[in-house]
Amino acid sequence: MVLQNKRYYVLTLLVVLLLSATSCKKWFDLKPSNGIIDEDYWKTKEDVHAATIGCYASLLGDPANKDKQLAEILFLWGELRADMLASAVNTRSEEFEVMNMNTSPSNIITDWRPVYRSINYCNILLKKGPAVMELDKTFTQDMLNSYLAEAKALRALLYFYLVRSFGEVPLKLEPTTSDDELVALAKSTQQQVLQQIVADLQDAEAKAALTYGSQASDKGRITRYTINAIQADVYLWMERYTDAIAACNKIITSRKFGLIAGNAAWFNTLYYTGNSNESLFEFQFSRQKMNSFHAMFATTKRFVAATVVMDQVYTTDNSSALTRDVRADGAAVRAADNTIWKYVGKNAEDLRSSDESYAHWFVYRYADVLLMKAEALAQLHTTEAATEALDLIYTVRQRANALTATDNAPSTTDFDGVARFVLEEQAREQMYEGKRWYNLLRFAKRDNYAHLDVLLDLVATTVPLNMMNSARAKIRDYNSHYFPIFQYELQTNKNLVQNPFYK
Amino acid sequence: MKKHITCAATAFALLVTVAFQSCKKTELVETTTTDVNILSYLQQNSDQFSSLVAIINKVGYNDFLNAYGTYTLFAPTNTAIANYVKQIGKGSIEQLSTEELKDLLKLHLLEETVNTSNFTDGKLPAATMFGQFLITGVTTREGSSSYIVNRQGVIIQPNIVAGNGIIQVIDAVLTPARYSLAKLLEQDASYSVFVQALHETGYYDTLDAAVTGDAGKWFTLIAETNQALSDSGFGSYAALKARYCNTGHPENADDSLHLYVAYHILPDLKYLADIVMAGSHATLAPLEVITNKVINQQVVINDDEFNGVHEPGVLLEQATSDVSATNGVLHSAKGHLPIKRRSPFPVYWDVCQFPELTRLAAIYRKTNYVFEYGSGNTIADIKWEKGNLTYQSGKSGFLGDYLQVPLGVSSSGSWVEFTTPLLVKGKYKLWFCYRQEASGGDKNISAQVSFDSIPLTSALVQFHQKNATVDAAKDAEQEALGWKCYMVPAAGFSVGRMVGIVDVKVTGRHKVRVSVAAGSNSTNDIDMMHFIPLGTNQVYPRFKTDGTVVFNP
Repeated sequence: MVLQNKRYYVLTLLVVLLLSATSCKKWFDLKPSNGIIDEDYWKTKEDVHAATIGCYASLLGDPANKDKQLAEILFLWGELRADMLASAVNTRSEEFEVMNMNTSPSNIITDWRPVYRSINYCNILLKKGPAVMELDKTFTQDMLNSYLAEAKALRALLYFYLVRSFGEVPLKLEPTTSDDELVALAKSTQQQVLQQIVADLQDAEAKAALTYGSQASDKGRITRYTINAIQADVYLWMERYTDAIAACNKIITSRKFGLIAGNAAWFNTLYYTGNSNESLFEFQFSRQKMNSFHAMFATTKRFVAATVVMDQVYTTDNSSALTRDVRADGAAVRAADNTIWKYVGKNAEDLRSSDESYAHWFVYRYADVLLMKAEALAQLHTTEAATEALDLIYTVRQRANALTATDNAPSTTDFDGVARFVLEEQAREQMYEGKRWYNLLRFAKRDNYAHLDVLLDLVATTVPLNMMNSARAKIRDYNSHYFPIFQYELQTNKNLVQNPFYK
Repeated sequence: MKKHITCAATAFALLVTVAFQSCKKTELVETTTTDVNILSYLQQNSDQFSSLVAIINKVGYNDFLNAYGTYTLFAPTNTAIANYVKQIGKGSIEQLSTEELKDLLKLHLLEETVNTSNFTDGKLPAATMFGQFLITGVTTREGSSSYIVNRQGVIIQPNIVAGNGIIQVIDAVLTPARYSLAKLLEQDASYSVFVQALHETGYYDTLDAAVTGDAGKWFTLIAETNQALSDSGFGSYAALKARYCNTGHPENADDSLHLYVAYHILPDLKYLADIVMAGSHATLAPLEVITNKVINQQVVINDDEFNGVHEPGVLLEQATSDVSATNGVLHSAKGHLPIKRRSPFPVYWDVCQFPELTRLAAIYRKTNYVFEYGSGNTIADIKWEKGNLTYQSGKSGFLGDYLQVPLGVSSSGSWVEFTTPLLVKGKYKLWFCYRQEASGGDKNISAQVSFDSIPLTSALVQFHQKNATVDAAKDAEQEALGWKCYMVPAAGFSVGRMVGIVDVKVTGRHKVRVSVAAGSNSTNDIDMMHFIPLGTNQVYPRFKTDGTVVFNP
C-alpha cells in the first residue's frame, strides 16, 4: 500500500506536469500585463499622436537599446570619410577601415537596421492612422493629414540618408509588424528612391502643420519648413537648382527664422540649449535620453579634430584675441587638444559633465538653408545669381566673424570659384554636423562627376600615405563612394545584390 | 481498476520520459567551425580551380592546405593558369617540373592571413613562402576599381574566409622577380652610366647577391637615369668620375664617388609606400640619410629647408619605381641626387613655438595657458612624465613668453623631452636659456640635460642661479665660464647656460631631455635653446622681448 501511495504521488505529479505543459497554449490568449497589443491600439487620436511621437523617439535610440543611436550613425556616415576627423586613442578598427577607404561588407558601420527601424515606425503610422478616423469621431481629416505628413517627411528624410550613403537601397513602403510580413525586397535604383522621396515630400508639404504651438515641438517635430529644407537638399542632390532655390525661398520669405547673433551667448543659444530661432529640425536629446557623444569625444575619445580644422579651415589671427571665427576654437573644437567640442562643450571653456550629454543633433538650421540656396545659385551660372550667392555666403560669414584669411573673394563671373567657396563655407558652418561627406560627394558628382578631383584630393589627405595611391584609384570607381550592403542583410535577403565595388 | 489506472499511468509516464529523453537528443556539433579549409573550398569550386587543385596535388601541398593554419592563398583561376601555360609556351601544366610548380605555388602562398584591408601601395606585410614579397595596389579599368597584385593579376573575388586562412582569387598567375637589382639595372640601357658607377665602386656585386633564407640582405636602390645625370651636366661616366672621384680609386670606401653611390642604396626593402611612412632613411653612406616628403601626391627626396633656404628635392618617378628584384626594389630618380654637404648653422630655438600653442590665437602671446598632461600626447614635440606644463605670456624672455615646467615635485614628473628643429650634422654648443627662479630653500634644483640620451657634462642647469654680471666688458670671460646674457637689455635673471657640446651625427631632428638631478621646483621657466656651431659667435645675436633680434653689440 505504501508502494501504491507512492506511485499515486508520482503519477499525480506527472499529470500536473503534463497539464501545465499543455496549458501553455492558453497563454497565447492572454494579454500582456505591461504592454498594449495591436488590436487594442489605433482607436483614438491620442493613439495616433503617441505613435507619431514614437517615430521621433526612435531617432534618439533603439528602443531595445542594442543598436547604435541614429545620431551616432549619421555622424559616422557623414564625417568618417570626410577630412575633418582624425583618429584618436580609442578609434575602433571598423572606423579606421572606413576612414582609410577600406570598408568591407562585414563592417558594422554599414548596418542600416536602425534607419529602417525608424522607417518602419513611419510605415506603421501611415498604414494604421487613417482607419482611426472611423473609430474616433473627434479625429478630423486635417489632424490626420498633419500626422501623416510628419511620417511621410520623416521617412523621406531617412531614405535620403540611405540613398546618399548606399546609392541603391530597397524601398520599403509597407509596414512590417510580424514575421509573416517579412518580404525579401530587391534594391531600387537611386533614381527610383529619389522619386519616391520627392513624391512623399510633395504630398507632405501640402498637409504639414506650420507650428505645433511650442518652440520645442516646432524644432523637434517636422513642420512644413523642415520639409522645404529637406526638399532643397534633395533637389540639390538631383541637380534641380531652380527647385532648390524655390524650396529655400519658402523658408526665407516666411520670416520665421534668423541667424543667432555671433556674440558671447551664441554658442549657448544655438548649440548648448538648442531649439533656437535658427533651427528647423533637431533630434531632441534630453537628460532622460542622452546621446553617445560625450563618450565618443570626451571620455574615451574615439575621434579628435583633424589639424586642418584650425590651421586651414578656420585659421587663426594672432594680431588680436577678438579677431576670431566664433565657430572655431571653443565651438566646433577645443583647439588646445583638438577635442571635438560642439557636442561636449558647455561653453568655450568648460566640458559638459557626463550626465549632461544631451546636445541636440542638428538636422537643418537656417544657416544651412542660406548656404543651400547659395549652392544652387552658384550653379545657375549667371552674374546676378553669383552675386546673390556671394551675398548669402557673406551673411553667414559675418554672423560668425569669419577671418579674412578664409575669404576666397571669388569674382561674380568665376562660377566655379563661387561654388567652391560655398563648399568651404559649408565646412566651417556645419562642422561635425554630419554633412561634410555628402557635401563633398554632391560637389564631386555634379555634372557627371566633373569635379572628381575634390574626392581625389580628399583621400590624399585622409588616408595614410602608404595607401594613398590605392585610395585614389578606388575613388575613380564611382561605386566606391557608396557603402557596401552589410553582410547580414545579404545573408537574410537573397534578393539583395551587393554594390559591385565590394564584390 | 486501480491496477489499470496504475498501468495506464505507468505507460504514460514512460512515454513522457521517452519524450523527454528524445528532446535531449540534439545534434552535437563536433567541429569548431563549419568553414571548409582552403583546399576543400577549391575542390568544391572546381569549375574555377581544378587546375590549381591539380598543381597542389602534384607538388604535395594538399596535406597542409587542408590542415590547421593561417594562410593566404592567391588563387589563380583555370583561365589564368591556362593563359600562363600558353604564355610560357607549354602545352599543359604536366610539362612543368614539380620543382617549378612548387616555386610557382610558393609565390602564391603566405603564412599569414592577409585581408584586402591590409593592402597598401607597397609590399604585403609578410613575404611569400617563396621568399619574395608581393606588392599590391589598386587599378581602375573602365570606371571600376580592383586590387592588383604584383602588377600582374587583379583580385576578382577578395577575402574568401576558409577554415585555415583566406583565399584571394586572382585572374592571372603571379611570377616571381627573376633578376637581382644589379642585373635589373644592367638590362635597362637608360641606366648605363649609373651601372658603370656600380661596377667601378664594387657595389655591383653587393646588389647582385641573392637573398637566401635569413642570409643575404634586401636593398633599396635609387638609381639615376642617364637623362637625369646629363641634365645635371654628367653626360658620361667619365664626367661623373671627374666630378666625384677624389682619390682615383672609386672602390675605396672613403672615395667620394664610392660614397655617392652608397648614398643611393638603402640597407632595407623599402617600396615607395614604406619610404613615405618615415621622414628619413639611412643609406649605405655612413651617417648620411635621405629625407623624403610627399608633394602633390608624389615622393620627393631631399626637399628641405636649411637655415631658411629652401632646397628643392628630387622626384622619384612613380611609373618606373617600385620595381621588384630578387634582392630588393628599384626606384628611379628624376634628378641628380648628390650627398648634401652642409655646414652646420646656428639654431636659436624658441621652445614656445609649437603649432599646438601658436594656433590658439586667443592665447598665444596674450595670456597664460595650461597644457594638461592628458594622455601625454597633447603636444607632438614635447613629452613629459606627468603633471601640467604652463605657457607663461607677457613676462620676460624672447617674445615675452616661456614654458613653465614643474620638475621633481610630487605632482609632476622628473623629466621633460623636446624634439629639436632640424640640425645639420656637426658639433654645437648647446646654450640652455631660462629665466632665473628666485632662490629659496625648497626651490633649488639641478637638472641634467641630455642630447639623444647622452648626458651633456659641461654643466647642470640650476634654475635658481643667475648671471654673475651683466657687464658687457666681461662677456668673453663669462662665456669661457659657460654663462651668457642672451637678452637685450642684459639682465641677471635671463640666463644662457652652456650645458655641453652636442655632437650631431646625423642631420635631422633630435631629442633634448631635461631631467632632475637633485632638488625640486614647480616653476622652471624655459625660454630658448641655442645650438651654435663651434667656431661661431656664441654670445650674439641676442634677443628682445618684443621679438627683435640684435646681431651686434
